[in-house]
Amino acid sequence: MNKINNVSKEELDLVSEVSEQASRRDFFRKTAAYSMSALAAASVVAPVTVNADEHIKANPEDDLNIIHEKPWSLKFGDGVDVGLYGQPSPYEHNVTRRVTPILSSGNFRASIAVTPIQDLSGIITPNGLFFNRHHGGTPTINPNEHRLMIHGLVEKPIVLTMEQLKRYPNVSRIHFLECPANGGPEWRGPQFNSIQFAKGFMSCAEWTGVYIKDILKDLGLKPEALWMLAEGIDNSHMGRTIPVDKVLDDAMIVWGQNGEALRPEQGYPIRIVVPGWEANLCVKWLARLEFASEPFYAKEETAKYTALKHTGKAIQHFYANEVNSVVTSPCPEKPWTDLKKGDMVEIEGLAWSGMGTVTTVDISLDGGKNWVEAPLKGLVLEKSWTRFSMMYKYTGEPMLISSRASDDAGHIQPSVKNERAAVGIEGVYHRNAVHTWEIDAKGVVTNVQILS
Amino acid sequence: MYKSYHKKVVTTTLLASVLFLGTACNADNEKTEAVKAAPKAEVASAKMDTTGFTKREIDAVGPANAIVSEGVKKTYGHNGKLAVDGGVIYPIVNAKTGAYYVNEEAHKTAFNKGKTATANEQKAWDIDVMPDGTGLPEGSGSVEDGDAIYEEKCLSCHGDFGAGSGLYPKLTMGNAYEEQKTMMNQRVNPDDDGPKRAFGSYWPYASTLWWYIKTGMPHQAPMSLSTDEVYALSAYIIALNEITIDGEELDDEYVLDREKFLKIVMPNVDGFEPKINGPKGQDNARAYFNNPLNYGNGVRCMKDCFEGEPEVQRIVHAIADFTPPLSSERSLPAVVETEAAHPGKANYEASCSVCHATDSMGAPAVGDAKSWAAVTKKGLDGVIANTINGLNGMPPRGGSALTDDQLKEVVDYMIGASK
Repeated sequence: MNKINNVSKEELDLVSEVSEQASRRDFFRKTAAYSMSALAAASVVAPVTVNADEHIKANPEDDLNIIHEKPWSLKFGDGVDVGLYGQPSPYEHNVTRRVTPILSSGNFRASIAVTPIQDLSGIITPNGLFFNRHHGGTPTINPNEHRLMIHGLVEKPIVLTMEQLKRYPNVSRIHFLECPANGGPEWRGPQFNSIQFAKGFMSCAEWTGVYIKDILKDLGLKPEALWMLAEGIDNSHMGRTIPVDKVLDDAMIVWGQNGEALRPEQGYPIRIVVPGWEANLCVKWLARLEFASEPFYAKEETAKYTALKHTGKAIQHFYANEVNSVVTSPCPEKPWTDLKKGDMVEIEGLAWSGMGTVTTVDISLDGGKNWVEAPLKGLVLEKSWTRFSMMYKYTGEPMLISSRASDDAGHIQPSVKNERAAVGIEGVYHRNAVHTWEIDAKGVVTNVQILS
Repeated sequence: MYKSYHKKVVTTTLLASVLFLGTACNADNEKTEAVKAAPKAEVASAKMDTTGFTKREIDAVGPANAIVSEGVKKTYGHNGKLAVDGGVIYPIVNAKTGAYYVNEEAHKTAFNKGKTATANEQKAWDIDVMPDGTGLPEGSGSVEDGDAIYEEKCLSCHGDFGAGSGLYPKLTMGNAYEEQKTMMNQRVNPDDDGPKRAFGSYWPYASTLWWYIKTGMPHQAPMSLSTDEVYALSAYIIALNEITIDGEELDDEYVLDREKFLKIVMPNVDGFEPKINGPKGQDNARAYFNNPLNYGNGVRCMKDCFEGEPEVQRIVHAIADFTPPLSSERSLPAVVETEAAHPGKANYEASCSVCHATDSMGAPAVGDAKSWAAVTKKGLDGVIANTINGLNGMPPRGGSALTDDQLKEVVDYMIGASK
């Protein structure tokens, strides 16, 4: 009875008594039922346990987590009627979005909550962890009273209810959404010793909705229409201008995110997804699309989301998030402090490009002096997160790990030096220089930049 | 033209598609479009236009290969033009786009859902204001009136004379014409002055200010200002930035109206690229983003990419004010005792938290025991009197319409939550 020495003597007696008495055809079913209820009843009785210290002293190779039965294996768990909308294990409570006052415009209703990319696997971000940016708080919109208006330079301006909108044929696409200020606080040097804050202004999901071009074919877009305003109906009434070229390519109005309705903080009931482009263009709580012959010059495309260069000119309408990557393991939150010299370990990371599809990722272990191409793994999709991986034999020596991605548009991540030379250090937005982690002799990981 | 877009790209890669400007979505233009062939050879030999760039900038971007990548060439072949963002387009070919299968029938069928938007409905929702005055209503307001409205409704966040407060934005950084000259500043050293970006020095058009005030401000009560109030506030903010209209400085008596507003020329109107106005606007963006010299690109060097040891820049002042604190531990969360909501909590959230949630405004932050100990030193009556009458940057009643009793509850809640 070694394996269940955490069970009380009473419980054992009950189980064996029931077992001996049972003799009919339903032996197994009955035994199970009796013993489970007996165990459940007995669990309130203080169990008599074998002394753990003594056991380990006698059997130092044994793992007590195996030798001692755990309480959860000896009693009922929750029924299927508990938690009808499931939640993560309470033990995962540290896997959560995080905020900092520094990244707010005064209060947390005009601020961001960053995604714990250190804790994610694969390329899909769970909806509850999806990167979050508001300009006036999350509204609670009644979908029955919500409308989408499409007007301006169209032959037939229309209003759609949400039910009508969802009658258009839907498409599902996996795309990342990235704030173009991802990494933006670090133009002049590293500031966050955290991957979540240094690179977590982004997430990736499967979006379900309708291509805007599929609605427009019913409306008759006028030839002089070059720009589309997308506007939300939350407190901020935020609007952005999108060129008609993109609208007629792959811009979508979405209501689904990873198989369920958009979360309120992601724009419920509908938002725009402009694949690969600044996530700020993906207007949430979408209510109005207006076509015009001239750009609109909304606040978020003039005062903000413009990248000031060293020439004194600022890039406006800076659409695509350029090719980018980061090593997610190791990282400051997931260090190598548990490794011993000679251990094999996987270096893993995320690469993405708003201009197309990731084609290669190179890894450097010496601060960017020498590089080797790393294998990609999993699905490689356009304008989506892409995983890369490399096997490494840990030496215990201090080192610098960097990653550098390329895409099928021919773009390559610049070094910090080259990016600063091209655009300066005051741009705030669209920083995609090579990211580097420094690892010390203890396996502790720190955020650094390589200026060579 | 639009409807047959997908079909055509399947049959030939050389047809100019719906994405061609000016003829988009016009089914009658199909024939003229169909004969347009993309000059394929031209793009294959296209080089980056390096005119006007320094050697440092050209070296930083590396080999001029972006414009002729296979993906970009294919995009050009399909559409007769490059993608507006400098990237790649994945047209539907043989019922697939990129990695995804497509039911092509779904994208050809007309659905005609919804109802026609009435003129009244469009008027009710069409709130944008464009640089040419589209959407800007008639009305007027003086600098003096704007000053009064500002003190009542804006000052608590944006500070005295628009100087900003905490993390709330500055509305001016001085004379807009002078500050506009700082746009080339680079904070290479910690003590360097950076570019001074504010409404007056940076924004290209004043229409953005009007639109934003009308639809987004005050933060906790958007759409609450009248047209005349927005003119008055605009006049005040333009005066703070020392911007002249038609050569005239805005003194207290200056009355801004629609006609004068449309004469405003912002100092930084030419400070942005690409040039997106006019019928060539989208094409200008296309040319700009297909030349990576404009925004940088990397070099795929594999061996001995620089001389000597790497130069490492480390964190000097780490930002670590994170909520919740960073942790990768797998543990049960601390048990939080639930209690009935305090009667002052809802009013606090609605009316006071804009300033008191953090200390970024200089207001004592709820939860900050030390700040609140200093506040309550004067006694509860004093705190409530200050709340009702206003103090420093805080307007009377925090700018709210709460009654004395409600304010007392709010104060009690804030003090209780800060112990």
